[in-house]
Amino acid sequence: MLEAFQNLFAPPRHMLFLVAAAWLGLTLSERRAERHTISKDDLNNLVFFGLLAFVLGGRLVSVLQNIAIFAQKPLDIFSINANLFDSPGAFAFALLAAAVYGQRSQIGFWNSLDALTPFFAVFAVGLGLSHLADGTIHGTPTSAPWGIQFQDETTHPVSHYEVLASLLTLGWVWRFGQNPRPGIIFLSFAALTSASQILLQAFYPVPSLLLGQYRNGQVFAWAALLLCFILIESRLGSESRTG
Amino acid sequence: MDKTQRIIFYILTLIAGAAWVSLSVQPGPVAAADPAPQAGFPAPDFSLKTPEGETYTLSDLRGSAVLVNMWATWCPPCQAEMPAIEKVYNEYRSEGFIVLAVDQTYQDNPLDLAPFIEEYNLTIPILLDETGDTARAYQARSLPSSYFINRYGIITEIVIGGPMSESLLRIRVEEALK
Repeated sequence: MLEAFQNLFAPPRHMLFLVAAAWLGLTLSERRAERHTISKDDLNNLVFFGLLAFVLGGRLVSVLQNIAIFAQKPLDIFSINANLFDSPGAFAFALLAAAVYGQRSQIGFWNSLDALTPFFAVFAVGLGLSHLADGTIHGTPTSAPWGIQFQDETTHPVSHYEVLASLLTLGWVWRFGQNPRPGIIFLSFAALTSASQILLQAFYPVPSLLLGQYRNGQVFAWAALLLCFILIESRLGSESRTG
Repeated sequence: MDKTQRIIFYILTLIAGAAWVSLSVQPGPVAAADPAPQAGFPAPDFSLKTPEGETYTLSDLRGSAVLVNMWATWCPPCQAEMPAIEKVYNEYRSEGFIVLAVDQTYQDNPLDLAPFIEEYNLTIPILLDETGDTARAYQARSLPSSYFINRYGIITEIVIGGPMSESLLRIRVEEALK
């Protein structure tokens, strides 16, 4: 069954999950936008400018990093290769665009993050499904009965774990009702995602380790979880001071 | 939950997280042990023959940057990227770059190979995957699939689909040559 699924959504068709997740996530975010004192139009514009900056910024940073190579064939700047993309640069541009739009439209920072949380959570599910479909991520060997065969070994089905964890996180985020304190929904999502990464990264074989033994992903996720707790407490504290 | 309960919850969660991180330490980098078709991991080894009968073994090419390109004569993006691969191969071969163009012979017509090589004036080594074992080891389910491997035998980048532009090829080859 997994093989049939992976053949059906073999790359580059696995990207369909990301497109579907972006559409569904935005639809869900729209439905709850007004709870966070953001109009649907503002939310749509925020996402549109963020995604546009993400795509353009990712390619632009990649071009700037390899300017001498692109100078040999400038039209390659517009090539369809998704690998000519710098993810950190893309995120930086998206955040900048969203921040500029948010400030010009006077949208609250925490309110907009809360409104976008369903979008982020559904996108995480789509990302997990796309990883499951492309089949290029493999787990560590296991004797667990739910292990899957990879070459000559039974390995942890890490992409299944990723999908399951993101679905549970989405369920948790969606059950939040009226948001009493701006920022708490987003920070809860970020904390749950960090916690699930601490747990799941243990089942990924990693080529590089921190201090020779610690998995980078787990250490960064632990630091992110600590930051989330500090920010949650800070948000709750600021609310009780102002309220 | 009041503030004290929350702080206790945070501390216990962080301690549990730190304990799990410590329990799941890895004895050493997997790079020396477990080949996998995944960026950051050693490339699975293979030995394949050219149409002329010469054998290429990937592990014998340690010290060179290698592009393993899975392709077939009937695949339009494979056809489209071949001139760029040939051009970049000729630019960088003196620096230690080699291309292994693995034809998916088990799902291709071997009689189409010679006209294809002639049409595109290919000098890159063309290898024949007659059983599909190499494609399976690399989990190549889409054509073309390209694997950039550095001088230490580690996969640095996987490009699925195509055609790859010359710039993408140059960037990835330069990274693999480092």
